[in-house]
Amino acid sequence: MKRDLVLSQVFRIVSYVVFSIILLMFVLVILGGIRYFSMSFFMEYPRNNMREGGIFPAILGSFYLMVLTFIVAVPLGVFTGVFLSEWENFFTKWIDVSLTSLSGIPSIVYGLFGLAFFCVALGFGTSMLAAALTLSLMTLPVIASATKETLKAIPVELREAAYALGATKIEVIFKVLIPAAKRGIVTAVLVGGGRALGETAPVLLTGAVFYSTFLPRSVFSPVMTLPTHIYYIMMAYGEKAQWMARATAAFLLIVVAIIYSLAFYLRRREHGRSH
Amino acid sequence: MDVVIEIVNFSAYYGDKQVVRDVSMKIFRNKITAIIGPSGCGKTTLLRSINRMNDHLPGFRVEGKIFFEGQDVYASNLDVTEYRKKVGMVFQKPTPFPMSVYDNVAFGPRIHGIRDKRLLDQIVENALRRAALWDEVKGELHKPATQLSGGQQQRLCIARALAVEPEVLLLDEPTSALDPISTQKIEMLLEELSEYYTIVIVTHNIAQAVRIADYIAFMYRGELIEYGPTRDIIERPKHKLTEEYLTGKIG
Repeated sequence: MKRDLVLSQVFRIVSYVVFSIILLMFVLVILGGIRYFSMSFFMEYPRNNMREGGIFPAILGSFYLMVLTFIVAVPLGVFTGVFLSEWENFFTKWIDVSLTSLSGIPSIVYGLFGLAFFCVALGFGTSMLAAALTLSLMTLPVIASATKETLKAIPVELREAAYALGATKIEVIFKVLIPAAKRGIVTAVLVGGGRALGETAPVLLTGAVFYSTFLPRSVFSPVMTLPTHIYYIMMAYGEKAQWMARATAAFLLIVVAIIYSLAFYLRRREHGRSH
Repeated sequence: MDVVIEIVNFSAYYGDKQVVRDVSMKIFRNKITAIIGPSGCGKTTLLRSINRMNDHLPGFRVEGKIFFEGQDVYASNLDVTEYRKKVGMVFQKPTPFPMSVYDNVAFGPRIHGIRDKRLLDQIVENALRRAALWDEVKGELHKPATQLSGGQQQRLCIARALAVEPEVLLLDEPTSALDPISTQKIEMLLEELSEYYTIVIVTHNIAQAVRIADYIAFMYRGELIEYGPTRDIIERPKHKLTEEYLTGKIG
């Protein structure tokens, strides 16, 4: 009994420590940057060697890139997840294992692959498209696995009820299973999106531009993004531009935190409903 | 009397395990037929074989025949989805789809190609009325169906099955997850529905079978031991096993 009590105190303290570290990181990054927030920071282009102006093109670039990534990764990921869940056989198990290992590959490797395949072999050059495709490869396993897991968790009775009404397999999938799994899929999409938004290495190699005075005109234009912007500032400019890196980091962290909170909230509601 | 379903020397297997043994019986139009028997006697498998709900289970196979209005249900050229429109099913646990009350009932008609909004409204209302649920939900047709009570959910599932205008309604222990009052409502409902539909119900509740069924089939270890009008089965069981089951000696 006494040992249990001591142990539970140890666990409690450890979890508080971990929480404090995360909190500290949040507070330091956000406090370090938030004081530079202003209308012009969000609405203007960087000027005077990043000493003045704002990060408008990077915000828009990151946004475009995320939308483009979703356009590719969401349908592919959802369909893959559906296939893995609803047509289980030796072949799909094999795909499943490959997908799991995909999520373990370091992002720089994705970047190199994207550079070699999308930029060079397919001739897309350093472009938003090449970056989005590379990021899609990274988020696809997240969306596919989550879709599969959510579908698997749907009780068999629900499928049978739909079949008993004379529904075909395709109708069961699109009209019952996907609507039932909607929240789980949206959660996965958000998690994948949050990850894609913060990715630096793959974008750096495939689609990022250091500085741009115009917005991307097509999917073949390179883009500025929030994480690569921070990277470039830190690598190329000195103290004078540091404020912009801090402010950008704070903004990126806030956006990602909002996305993850939303995902967490949806997941919790999902669980709340099924119990 | 008019036979809707005829089961002839029907056996069902899961892999090597035989769960239904050489069953033959006729199911009559606009009657309630109850299949009773202890757990594992094959009654649910037999019921689910009627609308081919076991097809997707691994290792499932059948011998013998089931005819629906003279048509071989296991014939290779049978359009299963079309056939299932005629034979509705309600399950043990209520299975509302995660959508509104209205969309649940309209699900069947919609997948069978009905788009006209007014026609759908009409079908939904009729089905809910027949399932004795209309008065309780008419003001909240667009509420999520999962917010209804268990008993209401089960009646919703009945309404959903009725909306595709089946001829036969198969029910697999439809009240075993419900409280006594909801159970009573469903039993009364089934008696009303038997005026329009042929009803086959699997139940482990002997009293329920006696209350509502016109015919009782007693199964034991995969075999159909005895089948006949409810009164005959209850008052003059021919087989010793039937008597023992009814008096609670086996089960």
